[in-house]
Amino acid sequence: MNVKEYISSGIVESYVMGLASETERAEFEANCAQYPEIAEARNSFELALEDQLLNDAVPAPVFLKQQIEDKLKSANFHADITNVEEETTPVRRLGPWRWVAAASLILLAGSVYWAIATNKKYQELQARNIQLEDSLKKFNGETATIKEGSEPGPKSDFKMASIREGDQAAASIYWDTVSKDVYLMIKNMPQPPLDKQYQLWALLPEEGAAPIDLGMIELRQQRLLYRMKNVQNAKAFAITLEPKGGSLKPTSQPMVSTQPVDL
Amino acid sequence: MGTKLTYEEHELIASLRKKDDEAFSYLYEHYSGALYGVIKQIVGDAELGNDVLQETFVNIWRRIDSYDESKGRLFTWMLNVARNAAIDKTRSKGFQQSQRQIPLDGEAVQPSVRPGIDDYGLKKLILKLKDEQRLLIDLSYVQGYTHEQIATALHIPLGTVKTRIRSALTQLRALMQ
Repeated sequence: MNVKEYISSGIVESYVMGLASETERAEFEANCAQYPEIAEARNSFELALEDQLLNDAVPAPVFLKQQIEDKLKSANFHADITNVEEETTPVRRLGPWRWVAAASLILLAGSVYWAIATNKKYQELQARNIQLEDSLKKFNGETATIKEGSEPGPKSDFKMASIREGDQAAASIYWDTVSKDVYLMIKNMPQPPLDKQYQLWALLPEEGAAPIDLGMIELRQQRLLYRMKNVQNAKAFAITLEPKGGSLKPTSQPMVSTQPVDL
Repeated sequence: MGTKLTYEEHELIASLRKKDDEAFSYLYEHYSGALYGVIKQIVGDAELGNDVLQETFVNIWRRIDSYDESKGRLFTWMLNVARNAAIDKTRSKGFQQSQRQIPLDGEAVQPSVRPGIDDYGLKKLILKLKDEQRLLIDLSYVQGYTHEQIATALHIPLGTVKTRIRSALTQLRALMQ
């Protein structure tokens, strides 16, 4: 798959804004799990949209908050939503003709219901059919793209390295050895002291070479994927705790580092 | 404002799952305005907007367990809850009788986003799109019609509707920066 093309196709926006079809959604979610670049594109559009809407927020009437909280707190809230009202209907005696009339009404209602249900079913099937045709076309298109894409050309070749602290994964690094892009996914790292920041380093294969700075890590949100500086060559990655703003060379022992990357 | 001023997103989610009142209060203070803006744009009427905002937060409270962090941010999920509640409201009988809503059947394609004095948020951006793109975003995002319905109404092939909506969304995004 051509990740860049996929990202710029509008699928990211369409997924986030709730306009993608079910097939597209499933496919997009699978792709996000597989390609960190796609998950990053999603996250950055989500943030842009969130910023935009927060900036242009329209304050709701003040009384509304209390009203909503009251509704949530009210003891009846659960009963409200779960209980379907049951009404008791008084039983009346019916004469024989009324029985016949009632029976025919039931029959009539039955056939009307049947007609509506059949029609609805038909429409559902038709819609489903269109949907299937649509996804078939799309998959055919994609197969063609994949075939084209398998010709020699720039490709991604991700190496993954896990940074562990004890037996817990602290972070993962995805390094595209073709484009040289480096991504960092935080899994579990303690907040640094206020005057300190984590810094990512690439350790070089050459003996005695100084580690290369790959950038500072803003621990703003767990599980977020960060794009770090590119690096041409690396045998392993390490994270150190540095004074805020970072250092040119690591000034502390690595907190955590990876096993050598298997190239 | 609640007593706690800020939450990391994962903390907020964990507290909401525990049905923590303070977290809910924070969530409301922080996000209700952004959601209300979108809701008002869809339903167009302040009073209905209040109903929808209430439904939205009740739904968020009840369904927080169905939110899945791996699929996106909390705000994105809430925005979709709000948009769905607003579109449901415009589909209700009472709304259709009182409002301009006309069934999308190929005859009457009615853009609902028109310039006004209260242009804000997404509306401001949507109004900057070219006519055709604006119509497509309006019909799909604001009025909630499916791609199939739009294709039928505008006599455009479904695939084309899909491509054009996607390119309109990409344009919309470009306008955000």
